[in-house]
Amino acid sequence: MIDQLLSILVATLVAGTPLVYAALGELVVERSGVLNLGVEGMMLTGAIVAFAVVAATGNVWLGTGAAMLAGMALSLVFAVLAISLQANQVAIGLALAIFGTGLSAFLGQAYVGTALVAEPSALGGLVAGLPLVGPSLARLHPLVYLSWLLFAGVWYLCRRTRAGLVLQAVGEAPAAAFAIGYPVIAIRYAATLFGGAMAGVAGAYVSVVYAALWTEGITAGRGWIGLALVVFATWRPERVMLGAYLFGGVSMLQLFAQGQGVAVPTELMTALPYLATILVLVLISRDSTLIRLNVPASLGKPFRAET
Amino acid sequence: MPGIRGAAAADVLKVGIIHLAAESDTGWEADQKRASDAMEAAFKDRLKTTVLWNIFPPQDNERLFRQLATQGNKLIFGTSFSQYAILKKLAPMFPDTRWECCAGIEATDNLGVFEARAYEGTYVTGIAAARMTKSNVLGWVGAYPVPQVIYSLNGFLQGARSVNPDIVLKVVWANAWIDPAKEKDAVAALVAQGADVISGSPNTPVQALAAEAAGVWAIGSTGDFSNYVKKAQLTSFVLDWSPAYIESVQATLDGTWKPTSRWRGLGEGGFCKMTTNSPELPESVVAEMKAAEDAIVAGKLHPFAGPLKDQSGKERVAAGAVLADADIRGMNWLVEGVQGNLSNGG
Amino acid sequence: MRLVFERRAAPSRLMAWLSPVIAVGVTLVLMLALFALAGRDPLASLQAFMLTPLESTWGIGEWLLKSAPLILIAVGLAVGFRAGVWNIGAEGQLIVGIIFGGALALKFSASGSPLLLPAIILAGAAGGAFWAAIPALLRTRFNANEILVSLMLNYVAQLWLTYLVFGPWRDPAGFNAPQSEPLGQAALFPVVLEGSRLNASVFLALAALVLGWVFLNRSYAGFQLRVIGLAEGAARYAGFSVNRAVWISLLASGAAAGLAGVGEMSGPIGQIFPTMSPGYGFAAIIVAFLGRLSAVGIAFAGLLMGLLFLSGDAAQLEFGWPASITALFQGLMLFLVVAADVFITYRIRLLPRLPRSAP
Repeated sequence: MIDQLLSILVATLVAGTPLVYAALGELVVERSGVLNLGVEGMMLTGAIVAFAVVAATGNVWLGTGAAMLAGMALSLVFAVLAISLQANQVAIGLALAIFGTGLSAFLGQAYVGTALVAEPSALGGLVAGLPLVGPSLARLHPLVYLSWLLFAGVWYLCRRTRAGLVLQAVGEAPAAAFAIGYPVIAIRYAATLFGGAMAGVAGAYVSVVYAALWTEGITAGRGWIGLALVVFATWRPERVMLGAYLFGGVSMLQLFAQGQGVAVPTELMTALPYLATILVLVLISRDSTLIRLNVPASLGKPFRAET
Repeated sequence: MPGIRGAAAADVLKVGIIHLAAESDTGWEADQKRASDAMEAAFKDRLKTTVLWNIFPPQDNERLFRQLATQGNKLIFGTSFSQYAILKKLAPMFPDTRWECCAGIEATDNLGVFEARAYEGTYVTGIAAARMTKSNVLGWVGAYPVPQVIYSLNGFLQGARSVNPDIVLKVVWANAWIDPAKEKDAVAALVAQGADVISGSPNTPVQALAAEAAGVWAIGSTGDFSNYVKKAQLTSFVLDWSPAYIESVQATLDGTWKPTSRWRGLGEGGFCKMTTNSPELPESVVAEMKAAEDAIVAGKLHPFAGPLKDQSGKERVAAGAVLADADIRGMNWLVEGVQGNLSNGG
Repeated sequence: MRLVFERRAAPSRLMAWLSPVIAVGVTLVLMLALFALAGRDPLASLQAFMLTPLESTWGIGEWLLKSAPLILIAVGLAVGFRAGVWNIGAEGQLIVGIIFGGALALKFSASGSPLLLPAIILAGAAGGAFWAAIPALLRTRFNANEILVSLMLNYVAQLWLTYLVFGPWRDPAGFNAPQSEPLGQAALFPVVLEGSRLNASVFLALAALVLGWVFLNRSYAGFQLRVIGLAEGAARYAGFSVNRAVWISLLASGAAAGLAGVGEMSGPIGQIFPTMSPGYGFAAIIVAFLGRLSAVGIAFAGLLMGLLFLSGDAAQLEFGWPASITALFQGLMLFLVVAADVFITYRIRLLPRLPRSAP
């Protein structure tokens, strides 16, 4: 029994990790007042770039780095159009999502049917000896552990640092922040590029660690879920983690319930995580003061310093 | 001598193929691709083949099949059951074109169909699963509950239960044709519930890779993934459609093509082929599998022979009888011992 | 010298017309470059991509058949986008339109009644509107973000259709394959262009264009929506109801998407499969923006996008490129048009370099 629980827990962590990367990245972006809907496109591009690099070099870290660069490159396009040229962020984000889907399919042609050979994780040896949980934890990829580090970093940034306050100011009242002398545009660029890099890592995780295989559209909508999680979390990092693992957990549990022969249409089971997200979104949003307190006031609105 | 060159050019048969999924599909479409490659290798420059991938929406399928026909392809293949309805509509409009649809329902005037008795292969691999499981729980990851998948998993459990009636098979549907990450989750869910031999129908290497990572056995039912995993894959069989493709081309070139309904399993010229066995599989099990294969080919053994009960315990086939072909083709119920369900309530 | 980016005194009418033209032009140039990179004759390739599909009656029919649902959905979306209501669930609304229309079609196909097709059309619009009413309700009642709710509902709608086609709607004569029985003649739109698949559902798109033009350009409600989109605060001050705008936007776009759904079902497909849309709901978002959220613009944008879908065929047949290359060009074009739009309200000027002493 305890073994079963543990393996579900581990599987939940594995399933939640790409969401953690994508959503934490987007959280920083949105806290700066920028809404980038193109996460899915950046994830897919990151996924194929990482896959290509790992297929060539065998090195997961090189692949992850390349995916970060790819995500940043796409988010730079977004930033130039949406931040500098102040184009409609919703439209640019959607364009990015669609473009990334096509681009990844195009680039991925050469990697059809290639599988990557899994390498044992170095960290595995360290935790394998722990009682009870050791063997399960040893199976987790270092990128899972790094996602916790990322969470700690983002949490610390948002809650404990001056930089976090500045970020918030830029998202809430960019004009005021600019008046005090903060480089609003530069900060928004930095946040957007960070989001792109994290979406790249999320994609790399899916193609290189999770599936170890390339297929078109491999992220299967996880970028969109990541976006939803940020709202679900009311822009708070700790709730992003909760949401990501909740989503991962519900996905796992429905598969588990199917195997137990629970007599519910499997389509309904598969729809559960999406319905759960809507439900929580409603629960959180219905309290309008709560959402108003949390949502970055200038989210999605362009800023331009009038000179 | 232009006349002769003209004649030679006319001898080149233009063949069109439309795959539903993208070329990156490592399962069903990869089997189709292997077969069409074998076809091209067999006839070389007597063929000119046009292949289209990732044509999923039905409205686009019709347009492109038509386009292939009007561009002078005289033999056109569809690779999936979803294309059958479209081909059935198109075939009468292009009476000079020979149409073939894999997994189609029935032959018409100029539309042939071919399909594999995959349950014969899964029956044999089921024997290996039964001999190697310690928990008596097997796992199956399904893409969608279509009859092909249902009779495959039923056959798998029938094979397993032929050597150990205590075995159960847990079934999980991914409800996605391609979502490797979800397939991996599904394997994890099955392993968590005690399954120690995993097989399935989206038949991508992901299942084998996930099984290896989880330290359980994998079986390639309609796909051989021994290239992808080092040790987890016990045994496998593949769908070998090359006889279907090659026979159709040969008959077209000979002028003897007729629309046929070919439904074949194991054996010479069949569409199911047992492939690699792991060295971990004991000799005795290999021999047992071989004996079952031979008996199936010889017609002495039928995977769905009575008495056969369904999941609810209702008798579906009486003792001494076998399930009729038409009932297998449209199978929408699970045999006794399957844990899991079909959304269709069948 | 340095580049300065400054707001124009008044939006440039010239740029408003030029921006989509520039976007399309740059996309074409990039396509040519890609052809050249792939070692093809660029102009011949462009011809294969953009002209060859239109050389026959059949081809013209296919082109209009592809464009019509895109235009129909995009007109609906434009209503909401003008008001700043972001419905990105048109794909799901299209599917639920099919579910509603399909239920009627399957039940009464055999009746042969001339009323069946009009009933299916109404049911399709109702289905799409119903699915869009969910994000509308959750937004107006619970303040839930409509982008995310409408997006999540796409997945749910697809799974609902999957359930039906794999379950109760399977063709009994089809060996339990996941597809409905072929719809009867009474449930189908009649073909309007001999020698093609172009059917009467194309008139739905035409009607939507006319209605959309009147609503967006000539009606007071359309004006209110635009004000809300431009300045929500001012709109509230003027007594315009934001909630009403959300409802109008989502119901209109949902109904349009549902209509497009039954147009496909009772048009070129004539049957119900688990997959019914080649991503029209998403592509229509591009069409709406490319058409500058105006009815006339959307008509042109839809025709262009329809052509781009068809050119994906050529990409595969001639080049062996994946069909998804279409998405690459579609995304690119949307980038470009949105970027070019910036120059409607802004311009770039060259100014003398500032003196060094300035901070």
